[in-house]
Amino acid sequence: MTTCNECTNFFPLEDDPSTGDCVQRVVDPRQAYYKAKPVDEDTDASKCDQFQKK
Amino acid sequence: MVNAATKELKKHEKDQEWWWVAEKTRSKRLDYLRKAVWKKGAIGGAYNPGIKIDLERPILFTEAWKENDQDPMMLRKAKAIAHVLENISIFITDQAQLVGYIGSLPHTIQWYPEGASIVNEEVYNEPGTVPEPKEKSLKIMAEINDYWGGQTAIDKLGRVLNPEDLVKYMSGVIGWGVPTSAYGYAGKDYEYILTGKRGFEDIIEEIDGYMDEAEKRTSGEPGPDIFPLYDKMLNWEAMQIILEASINFAGRYARLARVISENFESNPKRKEELMRISETCEQVPAKPPRTLQESFQFDWFVQTLARFEAYEGSMPCRPDYYHGPYYDKDVNIDKRLTKEEALDLVGEFMIRTYEIGVFAPRWAREGLQGITGTWVWTMGGVNKDGSDACNDLTIAFMQAARLVRVSNPTFGFRWHPGVKDEVMRECFECIRHGLGYPSMRNDPILVENTVYWYGHPVEEARTWVHQACMSPCPTTKHGFQPMRMASATANTAKMVEYALSDGFDRVVQMQMGPKTGDPRKFKDFEELFQAWTAQMEWLMNILVRTVNLGRAKDPEFFGRPFLSAISERSVESGLDAVSPEGERGNCWVTFFTWVENADSLAAVKKLVFDEKKYTMDDLITALEADWEGHEEMRLDFVNNAPKWGNDDDYVDDIMVRCLKEVARHSHEIKCPSGNNWPALPENVSGNIHYASLVGALPNGRRLGDALYDGGVSPGPGLDKKGPSAVLKSCSKFDHIKDGRAFLLNQRLSPTQLSGEKGFKLWKSYMDTWADLGLDHVQFNMVDDTTLRAAQSDPEKYAEVIVRVAGYSAHFVDISRKTQDNIIQRTVVGL
Repeated sequence: MTTCNECTNFFPLEDDPSTGDCVQRVVDPRQAYYKAKPVDEDTDASKCDQFQKK
Repeated sequence: MVNAATKELKKHEKDQEWWWVAEKTRSKRLDYLRKAVWKKGAIGGAYNPGIKIDLERPILFTEAWKENDQDPMMLRKAKAIAHVLENISIFITDQAQLVGYIGSLPHTIQWYPEGASIVNEEVYNEPGTVPEPKEKSLKIMAEINDYWGGQTAIDKLGRVLNPEDLVKYMSGVIGWGVPTSAYGYAGKDYEYILTGKRGFEDIIEEIDGYMDEAEKRTSGEPGPDIFPLYDKMLNWEAMQIILEASINFAGRYARLARVISENFESNPKRKEELMRISETCEQVPAKPPRTLQESFQFDWFVQTLARFEAYEGSMPCRPDYYHGPYYDKDVNIDKRLTKEEALDLVGEFMIRTYEIGVFAPRWAREGLQGITGTWVWTMGGVNKDGSDACNDLTIAFMQAARLVRVSNPTFGFRWHPGVKDEVMRECFECIRHGLGYPSMRNDPILVENTVYWYGHPVEEARTWVHQACMSPCPTTKHGFQPMRMASATANTAKMVEYALSDGFDRVVQMQMGPKTGDPRKFKDFEELFQAWTAQMEWLMNILVRTVNLGRAKDPEFFGRPFLSAISERSVESGLDAVSPEGERGNCWVTFFTWVENADSLAAVKKLVFDEKKYTMDDLITALEADWEGHEEMRLDFVNNAPKWGNDDDYVDDIMVRCLKEVARHSHEIKCPSGNNWPALPENVSGNIHYASLVGALPNGRRLGDALYDGGVSPGPGLDKKGPSAVLKSCSKFDHIKDGRAFLLNQRLSPTQLSGEKGFKLWKSYMDTWADLGLDHVQFNMVDDTTLRAAQSDPEKYAEVIVRVAGYSAHFVDISRKTQDNIIQRTVVGL
């Protein structure tokens, strides 16, 4: 199973690497921004269309 | 090139196309951030395309709510919000220096499913705002609605309200809003939280002290005095949980800024900015701010976090006062910021506020067209010792307002005799640029008014901010009001309508008010006035009764752990901030559609009882027919009856008498703290919302016609004797003892007020206004030609702003009926 910790968008927490943030660049019709969502490193990423292998 | 650009700018200035001037003179950063905002205010009544409900908070909140079902309200609520803050998506917009939003993405609007089932149903059924994929979202929304059905704050309140009150209130014709802090206007104890003396870590420590003491007492000698401590300890725990979650929430932004800087950003200047954002969010709100950026960010976290807890419909801020010392330190003393850099921060602080979006039910969207809440920021005024509080940041805010040109927040400026010309000029320039703000408030009058109605000590009264559009409220421990519900908002045209219908509502076809007698049998004006007085008392009573109960039950039915945690009296007492205990009281009843009463009563007095041109039977027959078949008679009532705002004692005396009756009753009805409920005539865009709910009136109005634009403003086009006559009419009642505040709209000619001469004319008008003791005035200064052009070509004039009532809006965002109503207002020549 592909998991979040294999992805370039996954940034583990320094004090607990088993969890971290999925950080993505988004450009919407009005603005560009970076967003972060908390995820666990072993979250199934096999269906994630933003997944980018490290 | 430079010459061409300068020439173009001059042309825009000459043509008074201030929106183009703003776009061409603001910094690239402000230009980007201003254009980046997803406009959340509804256009007319509908949301802009692309605006979507945020589902992350409702899902996360409900998840944690279910998990902690054994906890009492405040603790359960704190855990639910903490779960949201730990898990909701966050974002940082390019070029931003301030961070924090109440939703997971920039185009989302927040939804509070724990507030009211009637709103939840609207969320589900609102076309266009359901996020993609729709089918999945609708399923989630249905599950959330099913869970909360019958369990929301309003559902719970509905079960304890008097059923008759509930039915009448929910009919939608007499009041506006819902009696819960889920949808209220929450004042803040800024003297506790924004004076730079403490951060959230300090409050956690203070609470530790109270808990230690309580634990000692509950482990010691038994007695009745220790019983409340058990509940208080749970409340204190709730406050600590939410404060810690808030610090961690800021920490998430700190981390994201660092991750972007270290991994994504290549521009060295932006990398540095992101590291400063990171450092800022590590500092605040955990610790007190040290710089202007940290001070703004601290305030912004407070505003954002409060909106994770509740739909706060207003933003009672005083940013120049509380952030002014940091501006002075950074710009004038340490010189770590240039004025231009500071202006970028000030402008962005306004843009972050403009960005806020919450799902509002349709009646609220119609009543507040174009905006999502009445964010009226308070500027100027005096310090606690009475000295001038205006500072360099006051001026910077006025300048930033002209650059970013947002319709929300707006400013209310506390004028007093010590305000320097330089500051007055800045206020004038904002008005002349067509922003519709700042509204001008008479500080000495309003401070005295605040002391008179509630007994606030004068030093506390001097801290006042606009709690919503108009009403002053102190920002102190015992003076700030944590929950003011829009539902104490009366559609007062019903007072005269019911006096002429024996209390029966012809629009909704039910007996609403008390039976005050068959109006066809009234023999003189006194009989009519007595009926009016009884209807007035009834209307104020039912709304205040409902709202009082909502306030008293709110800690049990809704709960405000975050608001409590940033309020000194709650931190000290362990009680929910909304609990009336410890609050002095600062309630008011908003009077929508007020002037119709005086004009209608005057018309009946003159044409029926004095001149005997018509009988009461004639009049009631015509009103019941909505004037249909009685056009000649209607025009007589429009044209030959005296109208408020013309310095005509005939009608002005009636207005004064009505206000004095209301003021008498305001002392009889009491808030949960035992204090008074004065009236505050103003309208937002309720004059349009209520157009289809108020029947025919003796001022010649028909069902469906727009009502007057509100407060004590004369009816559009009915003030025929010039601006001095309007001011004189408004000076005939006491702005301290006859009510809480009185909104006055005036339209001025931008041509007449151009240049230096224009400023002098306006200043002279303001001197008269102050001398006459009026408490409020606000101006529209956009000419008819521009407004009509905007109606024909809305895209070209998308940035034209107008003053609607207690707020400003982009002209193209308000309904055609409201647009026409603004155009109809008399342009007064000074």
